[in-house]
Amino acid sequence: MSSALILSAIVLPLAGGGLLLASPGQAERNRRKYTMVITCLTTILVWLILLKGTSPAFTLYYFTRGFSVDFHVDGLSMVFAGMVSIMWPLVTLYAFDYMSHASHRNSFFGFFMMTYGITLALAFSASILTLYVFFEMLTLVTIPMVWHYRDHQSMYAARVYAVYLIGGAALGLIAVLLVTLGGGEGIFRYGGSLIGTPDRRLMCLVYFFGFFGFGCKAAVFPFYYWLPTASVAPTPVTALLHAVAVVNSGVFAVTRLTYYSIGPDLLRGSWVQYTAMTLASFGLLFSAVLALRERHFKRRLAYSTVSNLSYMLFGITLMSPDGLVGGVSHMVFHGIIKITLFLCAGAFMHMTGHEYIYEINGVGKRMPVTFGLFTIVSLSLIGVPLGCGFVSKLRLIYAGIGESSGVAVFGILCLIGAAFLSAMYTLTITVRAFFPIRGGDRYPSDGKLHEAGWRMLLPIGVFTAANVLLGMVPGPFMRLLDTIGAGLI
Amino acid sequence: MILLIVFLPFLAAVLSYVAGKESETARDRFAAAATLIELLMTVLLLYWMPSEDIPLVFGSGLHFTADGFRCVYAIVTAFMWAFTTLFCGEYFAHEREGLNRYYFFVLMTLGATEGVMLSADLMTAFIFFEILSFTSFTWVIHERTPDAIRAGYTYLFIAVIGGLVLFMGLALLNETIHTLRFDQLRSAVAASDQHGRILAAGCCILFGFGCKAGMFPVHVWLPKAHPVAPSPGSALLSGILTKVGVYGILMTTLGALADNRSFGLIVLILGVITMALGAVLALFSVNLKRTLACSSMSQIGFILTGIGMYVLLTTAECEEGIVLALSGTMLHMLNHSLIKLTLFMAAGVVVMNLGVLTLDDIRGWGRKKWRLKIAFALGGLGISGVPGFNGYISKTLLHEGIVEGIHTIHSLSGLLHVVEWIFLISGGLTFAYMLKLFIAVFVQEHPTRQAQFDADVNYMNRTSTAVICGSSVLMAVLGQPGIMTRLASFMTGYEEILAFKAFTFANLKGGLISLAIGLAVYLWIVRRVLYKNGSYVNLWPAWLDLENAFYRPLLTRWLPGFFGTIVSVFGENRLLTPLCKGALAVGTFLGRLISIGPDTLVVLSRRTLFRERAAVRADQPSLGRVASFHEQIRQACAPLFGSFSFALMMTCIGVLIILGWVITYI
Repeated sequence: MSSALILSAIVLPLAGGGLLLASPGQAERNRRKYTMVITCLTTILVWLILLKGTSPAFTLYYFTRGFSVDFHVDGLSMVFAGMVSIMWPLVTLYAFDYMSHASHRNSFFGFFMMTYGITLALAFSASILTLYVFFEMLTLVTIPMVWHYRDHQSMYAARVYAVYLIGGAALGLIAVLLVTLGGGEGIFRYGGSLIGTPDRRLMCLVYFFGFFGFGCKAAVFPFYYWLPTASVAPTPVTALLHAVAVVNSGVFAVTRLTYYSIGPDLLRGSWVQYTAMTLASFGLLFSAVLALRERHFKRRLAYSTVSNLSYMLFGITLMSPDGLVGGVSHMVFHGIIKITLFLCAGAFMHMTGHEYIYEINGVGKRMPVTFGLFTIVSLSLIGVPLGCGFVSKLRLIYAGIGESSGVAVFGILCLIGAAFLSAMYTLTITVRAFFPIRGGDRYPSDGKLHEAGWRMLLPIGVFTAANVLLGMVPGPFMRLLDTIGAGLI
Repeated sequence: MILLIVFLPFLAAVLSYVAGKESETARDRFAAAATLIELLMTVLLLYWMPSEDIPLVFGSGLHFTADGFRCVYAIVTAFMWAFTTLFCGEYFAHEREGLNRYYFFVLMTLGATEGVMLSADLMTAFIFFEILSFTSFTWVIHERTPDAIRAGYTYLFIAVIGGLVLFMGLALLNETIHTLRFDQLRSAVAASDQHGRILAAGCCILFGFGCKAGMFPVHVWLPKAHPVAPSPGSALLSGILTKVGVYGILMTTLGALADNRSFGLIVLILGVITMALGAVLALFSVNLKRTLACSSMSQIGFILTGIGMYVLLTTAECEEGIVLALSGTMLHMLNHSLIKLTLFMAAGVVVMNLGVLTLDDIRGWGRKKWRLKIAFALGGLGISGVPGFNGYISKTLLHEGIVEGIHTIHSLSGLLHVVEWIFLISGGLTFAYMLKLFIAVFVQEHPTRQAQFDADVNYMNRTSTAVICGSSVLMAVLGQPGIMTRLASFMTGYEEILAFKAFTFANLKGGLISLAIGLAVYLWIVRRVLYKNGSYVNLWPAWLDLENAFYRPLLTRWLPGFFGTIVSVFGENRLLTPLCKGALAVGTFLGRLISIGPDTLVVLSRRTLFRERAAVRADQPSLGRVASFHEQIRQACAPLFGSFSFALMMTCIGVLIILGWVITYI
């Protein structure tokens, strides 16, 4: 039963998206209805799966020894699938308004839906080879959305995107193959899937390739360049894919590799752990500085994403249950935060046609709701209490302190520094919007500029509410993560 | 009850915002009424002193409690809010823009401040501390002049970094001793053996709260932000919000770090630097509100010195000194709040009438304005520590604490002697700069506009008069030792302080030395050096500013410059592409080398065994077609071979081969 549910949740958006790609119909109303119905149905299916709880691995298709497509539902996949399944319908709703003037809408919504299916497949995959297959497919299916506008910039971005992500996955393949050869067929098991006494030196090398290969998608330093470049894509794509689904699938894959394939016990204290931790720590500070230097609204947010992804990688490379909880909680909470920030940025760009930060002066008076929510969420990003960013940063810092090695202390210092810089690069936007220097207001009150429509505001509002709610009452969710960290589900 | 005190202002904030959309007068009255009700409720707290919790939120829940010190500070907070809000009515009479927002954030900050003051654990304090950091930011930036925006950014970023470091300190403390409740800290610290970690956590917490308190070296926002805020806001920023920081430092010290000698020394030294630096800056300043702001910084230094002495005396187990230092600290906090309330509102009267603050422009404005003159004089007397007024008693207590330390802590008596003299000199400077302000505004004559100034009799309305004069009377009331010692005993819980005699010769001596120094400084330095050709000059070198010389370049130039260099190497494919190209070139070269052997064979065999018999025509058409086809393929594949992904793929293949070799032979 649950296998049928999982399959239908994956196939439904894939098939639905494929049909939309092939269909010649251009009626806006029908397309909206169709897209919404399929997306919502998929979400309902996902929640049916999640409410049933965990289910063991089953093999969908057997190719040969060591290569089969397997799915399962465990704690980590529940968290990841639950997160994206709530975001997808809301962002689709947002996209209806945002894309209302764009061309090639069939292809956009078709690929958008297909990505949903592939992300779910990635979340539910039970072995590292299955994960790898969908990891590659995720790259391929998102490329058309990056070049959606078909101008010079988008084509360049798409090329960079493909080069980094496919190249990264190729590196990851080395790790995937060697882990699968290590026994256990690569089926995920908390604490490591390797059988017998694996060679520690070899496994460190394998982790090195795996970390940077899968880390490419999580924009680990020094492979971060593609993410800010890809922010030329339409905002729904940058918001949902390049701040949540795609980049978090990179983090997700690294988590799987670390905790469920090679095993933290094998890697803890090795050179590869310290390399990964140092690079993650350095990268998170580094990209925060770049974000501060950046003047383009969405690119600044993209650099901020790079920085926050490294927070997660830092937590995960701590190789302790606390680190896992910190990393995964930041994955979810940062997802909620950053998607809201991007949607606000998109609303601003959609309504004014501007995209640079110096063009924000005084827009707060005209779009108070958008920028009010933007402020609340950016405070949450910084780690101010009442927002959920505070909770995950607290857990990350706890985990780092618990480790008490020099590298962990370095990481915590970088984390604090980056959080400070994140205040600088987000709050300057707020201050510009609400408190322009006297006479510097760019948007006079002639009533031409107003708030975006309800389809754009509703997702922003819902995500902000989720943000504050999870920040005020994080208890139940954090208990779920603690169970995952303890290896119970 | 406490929950009501904390959360009612938040509700009132929303209501006042809604009311303000309809009618401005209704909103002003509503806000004033809300703060008065708040004051009433905090007074009721005295008879009750409850502890209340909200479980579940933020994981560990919110905890509130009220004891002597907290009650007094809750009342002072509500009192200051009520008085400044009443004063707002007239202050903002001509400047209506953005007032709705102002009242909204004023009331929010009230709730948050009460939340900190009545908190029973560090986490609760921290949460409300962060809220008030951001809500009070809107006061600084209210005027939206370039100066205000700049000061606003400084305030905001220092508040953020303070909050984050504090956050880290709390995490470290909690991870080490597993509790953050003030009443459990002491036993938990005693049971722990990780003193290094606790000291590190203490320093983080000191830094975090110190940012709000205006402690050196993170004081930079204070002399800039206080002058640009509207005066009621400045009074609150200076009177209460700095005290929130001090409150945090004091509570953490009392709980966790009371017997940590190194921590005591750190606080003492930073306190002494803050005290002296603030006093010197205030002496040099030629702007009324900036002088008052620098003065606040200096007084915070006095309080921190008291906290440092408290810790040192606790480690020396000198019971008498502990009582003196702790009472002095708490009383000086209280006094300074009330004094700055009066002084900043008096400055507000100047601003709302004249719109300028430089001493040369406002000189002589107050000559005939007796109500304002007396209020300002009382404030000045209080802060200078003139016997009979409130500042005298708290400063004497602090001074006696230091003297006690000199007698009991022999290993540090040299340092403490220096501290004592800096303390007395800073006290003297306080007197000097207050004298400078008073004489400039209320005694000297303006060279040109004096007649116009004296003709201006409607300079403040009845409410403002009541508020300013009412608060200034407290200076004299609280100057009575009987009242002060009772208050101190109520706040600290020590009965011994009741026996303190303020007017013995030994106690008067310190105060009088200070006043003598102050008079001398005024006569010799202020009048001779800082007052030239009938105008006050600012002799403070402009480049000597920690913010402009260090913090801003660090964040805007040095850090991005450093990382920018790295970016130019790693980012934008400047390292990866050459690396891959290099790898390819090396691979090609190696391939050539390897193929030399077979090539030689081929060439040799062609020359010997397979010699071509007939000459081949060069323009053979079929070969030409193959060649052009080959050329086409080459052109089609050129981008592929030059591309990064191809390079990566080749690298991967190479790595796979090496790995295979490694696996086979290791």
